[in-house]
Amino acid sequence: MSASFAFPPSFRRSVITIVVTAAVFAFAPLVAGSFALHVLTISFYFVILAASWNLLAGYTGQFSLAHHAFAAIGAYTSGLLGYHYGVPAWIGIPSGVVMAALFGVILGRLVLRMRAIYLAIATWAFAETVHIYLTADYQFTRGELGLSVKPLYGSVDPLPYYFTFLALTVLVLIGLRALIDSPIGYFMRAIKDDELRAKSLGIDTTRVKIAVFSISSAIAGLAGAFYGHFIVLLSPQMIDFSEMAKIVIMVVIGGFGTFLGPVIGAAPVQMVMTYLQKYGEWNLAIFALIVIVLMRFSMEGLASLFTPLWRNLWARHDA
Amino acid sequence: MFSTELVVQTFISGTMIGVLYALMALGITFIYSIMRMINWAMGEFYMIGSYLQYALVALLLGPDLWWLAIPISAAGVFLFGLVVQWSLLKPIFRKPPEARDDYATVVTLALLLLLRSLATGLAGPNQFSPGSDLPVVMVGPLPMAGARVAAFVFALVALVLFYLLLRYSWYGLALRATSQSRVGVQTAGIDVLGVDRIAFGIGVALAGLAGALLAPVFLVYPTNGLITTVKGFEIVVIGGLGSIPGALIAGVLLGLIESFGAAFIDSAYQNIYGFALVLLILALKPTGLLGERGREA
Repeated sequence: MSASFAFPPSFRRSVITIVVTAAVFAFAPLVAGSFALHVLTISFYFVILAASWNLLAGYTGQFSLAHHAFAAIGAYTSGLLGYHYGVPAWIGIPSGVVMAALFGVILGRLVLRMRAIYLAIATWAFAETVHIYLTADYQFTRGELGLSVKPLYGSVDPLPYYFTFLALTVLVLIGLRALIDSPIGYFMRAIKDDELRAKSLGIDTTRVKIAVFSISSAIAGLAGAFYGHFIVLLSPQMIDFSEMAKIVIMVVIGGFGTFLGPVIGAAPVQMVMTYLQKYGEWNLAIFALIVIVLMRFSMEGLASLFTPLWRNLWARHDA
Repeated sequence: MFSTELVVQTFISGTMIGVLYALMALGITFIYSIMRMINWAMGEFYMIGSYLQYALVALLLGPDLWWLAIPISAAGVFLFGLVVQWSLLKPIFRKPPEARDDYATVVTLALLLLLRSLATGLAGPNQFSPGSDLPVVMVGPLPMAGARVAAFVFALVALVLFYLLLRYSWYGLALRATSQSRVGVQTAGIDVLGVDRIAFGIGVALAGLAGALLAPVFLVYPTNGLITTVKGFEIVVIGGLGSIPGALIAGVLLGLIESFGAAFIDSAYQNIYGFALVLLILALKPTGLLGERGREA
């Protein structure tokens, strides 16, 4: 990391865009009812998960399928600390983040030498193991009975949670953008394109990969820990594989390996899924059909539609 | 507690269930070695196999003809696999390979969601049991549940047939050649997409067969494929992707670890011991027991 490093001009533009968009969303409570706010809050949770997974899979090429497990590790750490030992959320949530990061370092270390398919399989096995553990050790985790967690703000009114998650999303997105535009971000992309070559150019690929794995796990843990204090009841359902499938689908529909992709992919997918819930058990079937048809006819992702728009918007500055 | 009888019994039951897990792993590794993609919906094909078996036994053939229902269920899953390959996977394999991985992953993930919720929607979240009136069989001096022994025997027969097909038929030759070089076989005039179709069909039929065989043991419900698929993937990591002997050895190894763990440590964590083995193998030999070099899959 040379001392002369400066963020590219696109970094400032991205930050401005994120802040302006967030400011628009800050007015949403004026028009949206409490149910809409609830759905939006969950959408923000998934934006964070999708964006941090994209950092790992889309930018670094580590196609992990354990991201939902890290969110659950964060949520359960905070939840269990509160349930068994009465630990307050302001200690519980950071503990959840640390726990998720710790597991991230360990798993990242284990899958270090694997690429693509092997990494996906091994991380998937890890996630299912966490799932099985949470279900099996029900005396401690309460298993399928559900672990009740204290709400963060004493009530379940969605308004304060909405702003919490909005703020979290803004912070996480700016942080991710900074990371991607920093030297580490370039190392990440170099590793994805050709790991051997990156290594030969002097990049410490081991450190970068483990760092990215633990950062993205920590972000998932952070989102999960807050989420737990928002939905109030945790169950192993949180590590159901369909949650991971949802994250992957959000990112791919938005645009895999693009910064905008997970941000614009997550909310529509979550909203469509919420809307489809009125079809009862058929909702996932309809959703899956939509995804299959979308993938069958267009594989570029939504972000590709916005790229020319983005370029035009800033074209005058570049001229 | 550590009586010889218990050890021997645990050993036999571990080997038996291990061969069935190996069936699942073989399906995953076979599809991968031909098509270079992972079918994430493998457990759902297992689930379809078990539902077919239940429907055939309960509604059509009656419990006495369970042995006839098994090949029919596997054949049904095979046909369904052909349809899936033809309608969803074939179009993408015409395109350049870079985009293939993402597409195949997302489509099979979506397929997983689709099939699971279709099963829930059509048959409800209920658990069915095709029931097995097979008597308890004496293996040597030890009693074993009839359904498990039958499943083991059927799995062995299927494995032998699978081996003979690969080793001695013309189509087996084409399959093995495709796994070596997809471009090479095309220059030899082989229709790669047609080979893909058969390979996908056989791969998912192995999962469907496991589902049909294990239906009386692990019951029939929408997510019943999950645990066996986890085992299948664990076996693939242990044995090495693309290695058929690796899948068999790792399958039996996993079955043994699991039964011994369940018998001598704690049966509640039966499904976690396999992952411990995966971690151990990864730490000692990251390429798996018989895997390709370097794991640059």
